[in-house]
Amino acid sequence: MLRLIGRRLLLMVPTLILASMLIFALAEVLPGDVGRSILGPYATQQQVDILNHTLGADKPIYERYAVWAKNFVTGNWGHSPVNQTPIASTVMKALANSLLLAGFALVIIVPLSILIGVFAGLRRDSFLDRTITISTLSMTVIPEFVSGVILIWLFAVQLKWLPVSATPPDGANFFERLYYLILPAIPLMFLELGYIARMARVGTVQVLSMPYIRTAVLKGLPRRRVIFGHVLRNAMVPTVTVIGSQVGWLIGGLVVIEFLFVYPGIGQLMLLSAQQKDVPTLEASVLMVAVIYMVANLIADIVVALLNPRIRMGG
Amino acid sequence: MASEEFKREYGQHLVDQVLKGQMTRRQLLVRATVFGFSMTAAGSLLAACGGTSATSTSSPAASGSAAPAPVMGGSLIGVIPPPIVGLDPVTIYDQGGIVLAQQVAEYLIALNDDNSLKPQLATKWEPNNDGSVWTFTLRQGVKFNDGSPFEAADVVASIERVVNPKSGSGALAALQGILSPGGTKATDASTVTFTLDKPFADFPYLVCQSSYNTAILSRKYNGNFDKPTTAVGTGPFMLKSYTAKQQAVMVKNPTYWGKDDKGNQLPYLDQVTWKFVQDESAANLQLQSGAVDFQPQTVFQGSQALFQDANLRVDIYPGSGIREVAFNLQKDPWKSAPKELRQAVAYCLDRKAINEALYAGRSNLGYDTFWEPTVFPGQPTPPERAQDYAKAKQLLSTAGFSSGTTIELTVAKYLENPQLAQLIQQQCKPAGITVKINQISYDAFYAGTATTTPWLNAPMVIVEWGSRPTPGVYAQAMLMPGVPWSSSHWDNKDFASTFNSYMSTVDETKRTDYATKLSGIQQDDTPILVPFFITQLRTQKKTVYGIQGPGNFYCIMSEAFKTA
Repeated sequence: MLRLIGRRLLLMVPTLILASMLIFALAEVLPGDVGRSILGPYATQQQVDILNHTLGADKPIYERYAVWAKNFVTGNWGHSPVNQTPIASTVMKALANSLLLAGFALVIIVPLSILIGVFAGLRRDSFLDRTITISTLSMTVIPEFVSGVILIWLFAVQLKWLPVSATPPDGANFFERLYYLILPAIPLMFLELGYIARMARVGTVQVLSMPYIRTAVLKGLPRRRVIFGHVLRNAMVPTVTVIGSQVGWLIGGLVVIEFLFVYPGIGQLMLLSAQQKDVPTLEASVLMVAVIYMVANLIADIVVALLNPRIRMGG
Repeated sequence: MASEEFKREYGQHLVDQVLKGQMTRRQLLVRATVFGFSMTAAGSLLAACGGTSATSTSSPAASGSAAPAPVMGGSLIGVIPPPIVGLDPVTIYDQGGIVLAQQVAEYLIALNDDNSLKPQLATKWEPNNDGSVWTFTLRQGVKFNDGSPFEAADVVASIERVVNPKSGSGALAALQGILSPGGTKATDASTVTFTLDKPFADFPYLVCQSSYNTAILSRKYNGNFDKPTTAVGTGPFMLKSYTAKQQAVMVKNPTYWGKDDKGNQLPYLDQVTWKFVQDESAANLQLQSGAVDFQPQTVFQGSQALFQDANLRVDIYPGSGIREVAFNLQKDPWKSAPKELRQAVAYCLDRKAINEALYAGRSNLGYDTFWEPTVFPGQPTPPERAQDYAKAKQLLSTAGFSSGTTIELTVAKYLENPQLAQLIQQQCKPAGITVKINQISYDAFYAGTATTTPWLNAPMVIVEWGSRPTPGVYAQAMLMPGVPWSSSHWDNKDFASTFNSYMSTVDETKRTDYATKLSGIQQDDTPILVPFFITQLRTQKKTVYGIQGPGNFYCIMSEAFKTA
C-alpha cells in the first residue's frame, strides 16, 4: 500500500510539470495579450507595446516559462500583472472557498446518493426503483444555471428563506458560512445525486447477482449482515472511483454556480485569468486544482484498495 | 485669453441665435456652459431670449424633484460588474472601474444629463478667440483626502500624465492631435492654460467627466489606487477597502468641498458598499431579493422583471451610446464597391423593429449620422432612413450587385451585439444581401495589434460605444482620417476639412451650417451605420433617491440618500 501511495505521489511531479507547460502553451494560443487586457481596447498600439515590454510579455515563450517556473517552485508566486494582487493569497483564498463549497456539497451528496442508490438496487425493477431512477436522472439533466436561477427566485426572492449570494458578510463564523452555502449546494446535489446514486445502484445490482452473495444467503446469514458485510463493501468500489473523479470538477468546474451565486471560487478565478491572459494566476490556479484532483483520486484508489483486497494485491 | 468682451459678444450671439430660431433654448444652455458661462449667467441669457430663465438640467428622476427631504447618514449597497483591471483612473476603461474611481477622484468639469457642463474642480473656463488656447480657473480651498491642497500643479501633472504614451491611458487616443505633451501649463497656483495643437471648440468635453481618464489626481500619484492610503482624490468618498473581484467599501470624505443647494455638507451617505457581480441575471436577482439597493446601469435584455417589481424603480435616462456597424473601407467588398452598396444595407434596416427587439422601443432611432437632434438637442435633423427594399435593390444594382451579394459581419459575444447581427442578417436577406455572421468571443474581438485586431480589421463589425457628450467627440474618435479607433478607416477629405472648420469656430451660425454639411456627408457616404442611440436604465429601491450621472458608466452618489 505504501509503495502504491509513494509511486502515485512521485507520478504527480511529471504530471504537474507537463500540465504547467500545456497551460503556458494554451495561454499562448488564446487571443489577446496581457498589455491589451490591462489597457483596454482604446489604448493605442504603441501604449500596449510599451506595457508588454515592461511586463516582459514580449519575450519568447520558453524564456517566460523558465522565469515563471523558477519563481513558482521557489515559492515566489509574485503578483498578478493584471490586478497587482498577490497571486498566492488570491489563489489560496479562492481554493479554500471552493473546497468549502465542494466539501459541504459532498457531505450531503455522498451519503444521500449511496443510500438512494443501494436502496434502489436492493429493490430492483420495483416501482420505487423506477421512481428513484427517473427522478434522479431528471434532476441530473437540469443545467445548473437553470436550477440555480429557479432556486434563487423561489427561496431568496419570493420566500426570502435563504440569502441570494453565497458570500457571507465579513466576520461570519463557520456555521454562518455554511448557511450561505445551502442554496448553491442544491444545484450541485441535483447534478451529482443521480450520477452517484446510479453507480451505487448498478454496483449493488451487480454484487447481488454474484455467487458469493447467493452462498451467504443460502448459509442463512441475516439479510442485514449480507447487505452491510458483503453487498455494500463490494458495491462501493465503482461508486468511490466516481466520487474521486467528481471531486476535481466540484473544486474547479463550478464556474456557473460561482457566477450565479457571486461566490469567489477557484473556477471563476481560472476563467477570468484565462480571459485576461493573466498567465501566472492561471498557472497557479490550475496546478492547485490539478493537485487536489490527483490527491482526491489517490484517496479514492486507497479506499477502493481497502474495500477490495484483490486490487491492493494487484497494485 | 478670452476677454470679458468676447464672452459678452458670444453670449449675445447665442441669444440672437435663439431669437432667430436657429438654436433651441436647451442648445443655448449647452453651448454657453462649454464656453464657461456659469448656470446663473446661462440663465440670464435664456431670460434675454424671453420666457423662463430656469436652468435646471437634471431629469426629475435624477434630481429627485419628487423626492423627500434628504436624509443625512446611512449606507447603500450598489451592484456593478467587477473592475476588469482594478481602479487606476489613468487606465480604467470599464464600467466597474470608472464608477468606483469617480467616487474618489474628480474632474475639472462635470457633466449634466443633457450634456451641458458644470464646474467641478474648475470654477470657470474660457477660450481665446479661435478656441486654440483654453484657460481654466481652479476652485479654491479644495483638499485631497490625504490633507494636501489641490493646486494647478496637480492639474498639470494629471493631464500631462495621460498624454504621455508611457502611462497607457486611453485618453491619449482622444486627445491625440489636439493636446500634446507640454501643452498644459500652470499660470499660477489656481490657473491652468491648455495650448492646443489646433483650435477645438469642444475642448472642455475632453477634460470633463466623460473623458474618464482625465481625473485630477495628486501630483505625487504613482498608481495603487485600489489601496486606501494611496487612493488620493478630492471626491466625496474615500476608499475604505477593496477586494478584487468581490467588493469595494467607500466612506464619506469628511473634508469634501461640495455642498447642496441648501448649503448642506455633501455627501449625505456615510458609506457605500459596491458588490461586484459579473453575471447580469445574478445582479437582477440581487436587486429583486433586496440584497442590494441600486444598480447604476441596468442592461435592457433580461430586465423586464425589474420593471414589474413593486419594490424597485427603474429610471430611464437619456444616453448617446451606440452600436457602430462599420464597413471597413480597406477590405473588400467595401474597398472596391461604391457607396451605394453601403447605402443598400442601410435601407434594408427596419430601425423601429430593431429598437423594439433590443430595447423594448425605448432607445432613440439613428439615421447613420452623429448629428441627431433627439440625442444632441439643436443639431440639424437628418433625413430619415426607413426600410425600403425597392430602393435597396436599386442601389445594389447601381453598385454592380444586381443579383445580390454575400457579406461577412464579425461580432463579439457581448451585450446585445449578437442579436443585432441576427436582425441585420434577417433584414438584409429580402434585398438579396446574405450576411454571414462571424461570432467570436469578446477577448478575440479586441485581441491583437492595430493591424490584426478584428474590431479594426474585419471587413464589417459591430462595435459598442458608451455615451459621448457631443457629435464632435464621436466624429473625432472614429471618423477622422487616421484616428486609432476607426473601424471603417474612412478617409473623406471633405468631411475632415469641414470638421476642422466646425471645431475651430465659435460662431454658432457657422457651426450649424458645418454640422448640416457634416451630417449630410456622413449619411450619404455611410462609412458606418448608426441604427439607434441607447437610452440608459438605472434601478434602485423605491426608498433610494438622488443618484445622478449622465450617460452610461457614470454614477454620482454625493446627493444620494435612503429613506426609512
